[in-house]
Amino acid sequence: MISLLSASFRFFQSRRIWLLILLLVLSVGAGWKISQLEIEDSITAMLPDGDSRVAHDFKMLQKAPFARQLVIHVVARDGIEADDLLAATEVLRQALPNELFLDPVSGPGDIAATPLFKQLGDYLPVLADDEDLETIAGMLSEKEIDRSLAADLAQLLQPQGVVLKTKIRRDPLQLEQLALQKLATLNPIPGVALKDGHFLSLDGRSSLILAETSIAMTDALGGRALLDAFDLATKQLPDGIEARLISGHPYTLANAETIQNDMKQVLVVSGIGLLVLFFLFLRSLSALFVFLLPLFSMAAGLVAVAGCFETISGVTVGFGAVMLGITIDYGLHVYFAWRYGSDKQGREQLLRAVSRPVLFGGLTSLAAFAVLLSSALPGQRQLAVFAVAGIVTALILALFFLPHFVGHGKERGSSSVLQLRRHIYDRKPLLRFGVIFLWLIISGCAAFQAQNLAINAELKKLSYLPTSLQQAEKELAETWGDMRSRAMIFASGKDLESALQRNEEVWQKLERLGIEDEVVSLAPMLPSLKTQQQRRQNWEEFWQQRQATVRDLVQTTGQKYGFSANAFTPFWECLNQPAPLMDADTINRWGLGRAVSSLFIEENGTYQLLTLFPDRLELINSLDHELGQAAGINLVSQQRFSQQLSREIGVDFSRFVSFAGVAVVILLLLLFRRLPEVLLALLPVLTGLLVMFGGMGWLGLEMNIFNVIAAILIIGLGVDYGIFMVCHGQREEDLASSRAILVSGLTTLVGFGALLLAHHPALHSIGLTVLLGISAAVPTAVLVIPAFRPKRF
Amino acid sequence: MLYKTGLSSLLLFFFLCVAPVCADNLSLEPLLTELKHAAAQTETLSSPFVQEKYLDIFAEKLLSDGVFIYQKPDFLRWELLTPMASGFVLRGDDGERWNHLSQEQESFSVTDDPVMGMIAQQLLAWARVDLDWLEGRYRIELQTADPVVLHLYPRDEGEAEFIKYLQIQFSADRSHVVAVQMVEQSGDQTTITFTEVKINSALPSSAFQVPK
Repeated sequence: MISLLSASFRFFQSRRIWLLILLLVLSVGAGWKISQLEIEDSITAMLPDGDSRVAHDFKMLQKAPFARQLVIHVVARDGIEADDLLAATEVLRQALPNELFLDPVSGPGDIAATPLFKQLGDYLPVLADDEDLETIAGMLSEKEIDRSLAADLAQLLQPQGVVLKTKIRRDPLQLEQLALQKLATLNPIPGVALKDGHFLSLDGRSSLILAETSIAMTDALGGRALLDAFDLATKQLPDGIEARLISGHPYTLANAETIQNDMKQVLVVSGIGLLVLFFLFLRSLSALFVFLLPLFSMAAGLVAVAGCFETISGVTVGFGAVMLGITIDYGLHVYFAWRYGSDKQGREQLLRAVSRPVLFGGLTSLAAFAVLLSSALPGQRQLAVFAVAGIVTALILALFFLPHFVGHGKERGSSSVLQLRRHIYDRKPLLRFGVIFLWLIISGCAAFQAQNLAINAELKKLSYLPTSLQQAEKELAETWGDMRSRAMIFASGKDLESALQRNEEVWQKLERLGIEDEVVSLAPMLPSLKTQQQRRQNWEEFWQQRQATVRDLVQTTGQKYGFSANAFTPFWECLNQPAPLMDADTINRWGLGRAVSSLFIEENGTYQLLTLFPDRLELINSLDHELGQAAGINLVSQQRFSQQLSREIGVDFSRFVSFAGVAVVILLLLLFRRLPEVLLALLPVLTGLLVMFGGMGWLGLEMNIFNVIAAILIIGLGVDYGIFMVCHGQREEDLASSRAILVSGLTTLVGFGALLLAHHPALHSIGLTVLLGISAAVPTAVLVIPAFRPKRF
Repeated sequence: MLYKTGLSSLLLFFFLCVAPVCADNLSLEPLLTELKHAAAQTETLSSPFVQEKYLDIFAEKLLSDGVFIYQKPDFLRWELLTPMASGFVLRGDDGERWNHLSQEQESFSVTDDPVMGMIAQQLLAWARVDLDWLEGRYRIELQTADPVVLHLYPRDEGEAEFIKYLQIQFSADRSHVVAVQMVEQSGDQTTITFTEVKINSALPSSAFQVPK
């Protein structure tokens, strides 16, 4: 390889124009390819794909009823009447543009106007389970019948009697309340009351509008249009009434806008920082090519990703672009060696000398990033391809192109930091021990603090969550109960009947756990056909045994309260008619279609019924154990998802670090062939990682998906620094390595340090973690390695 | 001859159907305004009442006595004393109802209980003589002007399913309602007669509490 490099150098020495033309052609080609790219702006690239449990759970979580809906929370100031609030809600509902807010509803409508209350009792025979029959048996005692008829009489004498008379004739013993209780299990909003067909909070100060939308949650542009339309519609609201839109869109938009603003700020700050570095350390037009190197690498990375994947994640592009800033390092090493280095045997020998550490530095970075190819996260795999292509390009440009475009410096050795430091170590040998002692102290403290480092894969931690949105979510949960973050169980079947049967199994298990009051399920109102038929038969047998006795009791007690002989004829007629079977259409006709559709999914010929319940870990674990083996039943929980994701990230991270570590050690052994040198070369990377983990532990930061990549970056860069410093110490040639490492470290610190100013938690955390790692790796390379092993020549 | 009979029939139809409507419309508006004005002076209203129910569900006419109390803006007491002590009180959106025979007592909210919500709205509308609300809900016809007797026909299809019309009789000075008769589509009837109406008199502190 190095011979090839020498030959190439000789060949192109007098043909530099060929290289320029080649570079131009490749740049135009890459530019054209990049212009064709379609970038997907979604966090899903950073979640496992394929058949993994986490990937499966993530897809399922997107099906949660309120995850795919727009929720508008309308809140009235104290003193505003509920009627005024509901009128304003209706005005807002009508002001929402239909093309963006599909089918907005502010409540189920006037349920009393539907046949629900007239018909519900007819379905009791197919809805009543064994426990209900036991309850009914208890309601048929003489005492209970007396109590029921007394209550009927009281109702009839009250003004409401006129409305309730028909119902009392049909159901004098108030059996229908059992069916009414089952209706409650369809309500996905715990803290809701209904007023004039509208959702109203229990305190009468809040209302809701629910709507569908065709705009994907991850579509920032669409989200902007949606929010603008919403803001315009809210102008119709009177003073004292406010509305907040709660859905994924405001988060997507806030994240996109924050990232855009952050990037502008970061680019300005890092641009100024790089300019300062340029004027301090480079001060040459030929150094501009070094600064262009990351741009070429980035273009190559993008073209490679476009060739390997159908769509490119925006996260990959954004993070990859920042990451490939490190490729400037190869250019810097060649530049400094070429411009300020010295070798008695001429330029070609200097190139050979610098090419070895640059090549091995590049190879170790390649190895570190290549391990990401085995990641379960598509975004990380894309990033691996991006980084590998970018690093290869950077190596080619740095070694084959750059030497032809960098002039020889005239100030050789004039400001060599190396000479100064050797001088200091030579003059003050104790300083070496002081540096080593300080390094040991810092490493020890970092190791101690690193024990506090935790992994957290909660998706919210990766996103920018504006305080106003968090507050709106909190108020929504406080007012309406836990609507948006409940755990779900999916009961699936190839036909509706089998899905319904599985849904019943789920309900029965939850009932046994005694949490049925906290569960939202279709099972009590929509049992399977098989169950309905069985229940109807049980009902008929139940009444065959009791009807005559109960009729006598009702007749006698009725007489006592003045009821006529035919007062309850409708009840007896209804009892002796075959009960109709319940189906989803019937529930839809009762004005509860939205509740049904939110718990019922038909997709690709498969039926899925959702059961919602509180996302409590102990409950999840217990149910997971019970339902784990059941066919067609899947439990999905936000909390468990985060746990699993954390576990997978942890496993992935250990694998990456082990693989990268092994690959790096093998490459170092190949390069140095001596263990002490290998260990010395590893010092910057180990110190960098230790300080990064220790710093995070000390600051209370948790490891997330982005920090994993940051750690790989530290490995790649840290090993490069180690290789250069150890090579530098071994070789007779002066490669100006200390200066190169210093400038390279400073450029990385400027680039990533600027991310500290970012408001987006992911960018900020990357900035902080890389800053921590590099701040430790650079001094370890330039101060600690020479302290252990002074330059031989 | 046939022509004359036809014309006479047409004229008869006009006088029978169209003319009363015109007359009603002309006389109803100032009358309703007067009733509204008189009701606006009412801060409190209390009265014993007698309720007669002729319902198919009962073997015979059912008589009951009770007390009705109203206080501006939205306090109500509807209490039956015989044949069984039962009733409800309403304080704004919340209330309590009781039935001493079945020994039941419970709280309710008009936002949660649509039936009680509707009843409370009706009773408050009558007590306040909220004619705007009533006109929105009923087609009003004047039956006699002295005393004022109105017939109210439900506009809402749901309500019209079971109520044929309401007959409301006002006091001679037109300051309050003295009798309400509800005629149902099934022929069932309920008549409530307020016997000693007191307007703007002081109410006991327990007026809107559940009896002990």
